[in-house]
Amino acid sequence: MVIPVETATITVTVDGRPYTATVEARKTLADFLREECGLTGTHLGCEHGVCGACTVLLNDSAVRSCLTFAIQADGQEVMTVEGLAAPDGTLHPIQQAFWENHALQCAFCTSGFLMTTYAFLKENPNPSEEEIRETLTGNICRCTGYQNIVAAVADAAARLRGEKHTQPVGGV
Amino acid sequence: MSAPIATRPQFAGQRIKRLEDPRFLTGHGQYVADIQLSGTVHVAFVRSNYAHAHIKGINAEEARKDPRCFAVLTGAELAQAKVFLPGAQNAPLPALAIDEVCYVGQPICAVVATDRYAAEDLAETIEVNYDPLPAVVDTLAATQPNAPKANLAFPTPGNVFFHMEHATDGIDDLFADPQVVVVRQTFRTQRQTGMPMETRGIVASWEPGTASLTVYAATQMPHGLRDTLAAALHLSQSKVRVISPDVGGGFGMKAPVYPEDVVVSFLAQQLGRPVKWISDRREGILADTHARDGLHIAEAAFSKDGLFLGLRDHMISPAGAYPLGLSGAVAETVLATLVLPGPYKVQQYAWQIDGVLTNTTPTGTYRGVWGPAATWVQEGMIERAARQLGIDRVEIRLKNMVRKEEFPYHSVAGVVYDPGSYQESLQLAMEKIGYAGFEEERRQAAAQGRTLGLGIACFIEPTAMGVMGDEPLTVPNDVASIRIEPSGQVIAQVGISSHGQGHETTVAQLIADQLGVDVQNVTVLHGDTAAVPYGGGTGGSRSITIGGGAAILAAQELRQKVLQIAGHLLEAAPEDLEIADSTIQVKGVPGRTVTLAQVAQTAYMLPQKLPQGVEPGLEATKRYTPPPITFSNGCHAAVVEIDRATGAVKVLRYVVVEDCGKMVNPMIVEGQITGGVAQGVGSAFLEQLVYDENGQLMTTTWMDYLMPESTDAPKVDFGHIETPSQNPGGMKGMGESSLIASPTALVSAVEDALGVWVGALPLTPQRVLALAEGRQEDAGA
Repeated sequence: MVIPVETATITVTVDGRPYTATVEARKTLADFLREECGLTGTHLGCEHGVCGACTVLLNDSAVRSCLTFAIQADGQEVMTVEGLAAPDGTLHPIQQAFWENHALQCAFCTSGFLMTTYAFLKENPNPSEEEIRETLTGNICRCTGYQNIVAAVADAAARLRGEKHTQPVGGV
Repeated sequence: MSAPIATRPQFAGQRIKRLEDPRFLTGHGQYVADIQLSGTVHVAFVRSNYAHAHIKGINAEEARKDPRCFAVLTGAELAQAKVFLPGAQNAPLPALAIDEVCYVGQPICAVVATDRYAAEDLAETIEVNYDPLPAVVDTLAATQPNAPKANLAFPTPGNVFFHMEHATDGIDDLFADPQVVVVRQTFRTQRQTGMPMETRGIVASWEPGTASLTVYAATQMPHGLRDTLAAALHLSQSKVRVISPDVGGGFGMKAPVYPEDVVVSFLAQQLGRPVKWISDRREGILADTHARDGLHIAEAAFSKDGLFLGLRDHMISPAGAYPLGLSGAVAETVLATLVLPGPYKVQQYAWQIDGVLTNTTPTGTYRGVWGPAATWVQEGMIERAARQLGIDRVEIRLKNMVRKEEFPYHSVAGVVYDPGSYQESLQLAMEKIGYAGFEEERRQAAAQGRTLGLGIACFIEPTAMGVMGDEPLTVPNDVASIRIEPSGQVIAQVGISSHGQGHETTVAQLIADQLGVDVQNVTVLHGDTAAVPYGGGTGGSRSITIGGGAAILAAQELRQKVLQIAGHLLEAAPEDLEIADSTIQVKGVPGRTVTLAQVAQTAYMLPQKLPQGVEPGLEATKRYTPPPITFSNGCHAAVVEIDRATGAVKVLRYVVVEDCGKMVNPMIVEGQITGGVAQGVGSAFLEQLVYDENGQLMTTTWMDYLMPESTDAPKVDFGHIETPSQNPGGMKGMGESSLIASPTALVSAVEDALGVWVGALPLTPQRVLALAEGRQEDAGA
């Protein structure tokens, strides 16, 4: 038995740019970002709210876009991983810290970790390792064992505080 | 002597940050779900709700009438088109079930619609009429004479579809000798699956003009998928192109070809438009290959002074309902027979294998495959012997290990161990974990009411398989095709296929050193059968050793040609030249130089300026075949604390000593290790796929199947030993060792803390509590 689907026309500002589309009421924010806005940096790992890969900011709060309907974001501001780097391409300090600390491997989870970290460091600019690990329990990574992600978040915090960053990894 | 990586290695061995990372960090990676071809239609699968049933009928009338529907495909229609999933011999897994379903989640029909939401709506309207059949779920129960047959198309006595055995002469006499001490244990691993963060997925596009198929797929082995799809659809291999774009992890689960791959490709061909299917997590947990879930009924004979004399192991392993081309029942066991003695000089050896069909999801490979269980058996036996004989755990290991001067060592399992650092790795790990002072540490903790234990897992990792016999499991070689463009930029096409391993960086490091260019000037292309020569993809810890080896050989050949041309241009002998910073210079004469770009332009555009007999162009292709097995080795050590109130296990310290030969990028090596250790925490304490007695999978979300989180994973302290291999560059594989050793190290620590033996995984808090309270539970079962 197919349930008739209702639609609504919504406007969501994503990374500073308004997108207007008519969407089914049941369409998730993640699918809206990926399909209507063409922003495929937001990834779907579980679609039931456990893994955090789809984390974006909705009015500055980290939300799981797989558990948020697009229509809930109507008239509001969303920030995705595509909005992190500066317009000239300069990486955000969090991205730079993830790069230098080898905090990504297959990188499918990375966008979610970056956005979680962005929201977390706004609230807690000088976290302990324990606080970092506790916060990151909302995001699952299968490749890295988290060690380098934890180091990257601490490094990013130091950069954002304007302190000399810790232990850069050599390289290009 | 192994070949040097380069005369002046500048990049190999360095912690170069990854060249592929900027696209991932900015959200511009391109995974298969991100491929959006115009006109794409979307698939949802109707899957079996029963573990075993006859299909009496399928009613898809309502779906077919819906204007959003493009097609409904059933197994009967596929069979009529003579489309099958090739691979398995006796009981091939149908691409879509026809008369019988044998596990929950088995695909029955596919519905194609305008979008995934609509496809799922329509899938819900399709009625499958089942006639339930008796199901058998437990592996041992399935072997009982009166057990139901798991697969009526493939009935075998006791559901055993595969049996092998072997024994050395004299093993029975050894175990009967009253002078030897025999220790016994049954080791049971739980059912798991690789669970990469990216699910499986495929986009297939049919091009009518050329009658060819282009497939984007999350696969570890693009050429393997290409060959299988061509066979399934009766197309020539030249008419199928497989692209594996960025792949979000694999861990062995993305190595096989699946029913959905064949169905989606067939639908694209039939509909003449792009067809897309991205697995959701629930159907992934149901239908991705499962792994482990094996029994090792083991016994070992030791002399009274602790010599490891003999080992017997009866392995019983489930294939699920259909034995796949590389079934877990075979991969977990046959390959285990090669490494069960581990780093120890065992003299007598016997094993038997029973592969069993059950009404469960087909099993395949998961990182480490045979290794975690083999390590558990080998270390478990030695631990039991040490405790029974009153010999120090480290002493008994050192006493039995292959010593440095004994390499190459011909093991009783019929394989050759190339040089390693078995004793040295153990000693370094013990030093780093604080073994010498641990009893004092334990006493002090105990005085505060805390329970500590120390675990040890020595391992060997068989990597980079070469020619192993007449029925190769993998491509026993790999390839690199390198060219220097007129600009002096280097492009390498390789047959290995990264899904997180960082090949775009490590292969570039190897090539950059040979050609004297900056690593950023080397672009590594992979994962496209139309762009790279035939290769084996990535799996079995093969890539840097075989693919990297090929890259070194091709770059060396190219280097010779560059020097030959440059020598001609500079009027100097090639052996008097050196390359650095993309410039070729006469040694000691700073002014006499020519750039790599000038050499390349000469090679392509000015053949009249080339030395006599030198062909135009600057490109080289080399294929490298390694020895049958290259062995890495090492040791993991863990200190854990048991919470006797809750059964929780906290890892206080974790040490990994890894000897994978020459490291190309220690940062990437360490990243592989920390990842595998976290997966080992999952294996030891958290993860388990659980079926009920009717064959319903009870753990189909990540709220039920517990993935290791940031608070579960320990902080790893590293020790590196580099014993070079005979391969170019001296490398050995290392992608799996961390998961081969870590479950055993953690279990060993719990055993040490509680003075118990563990025989089954995972060690959930309830089981740890039971063990702590001295309750005899199923630990030895």
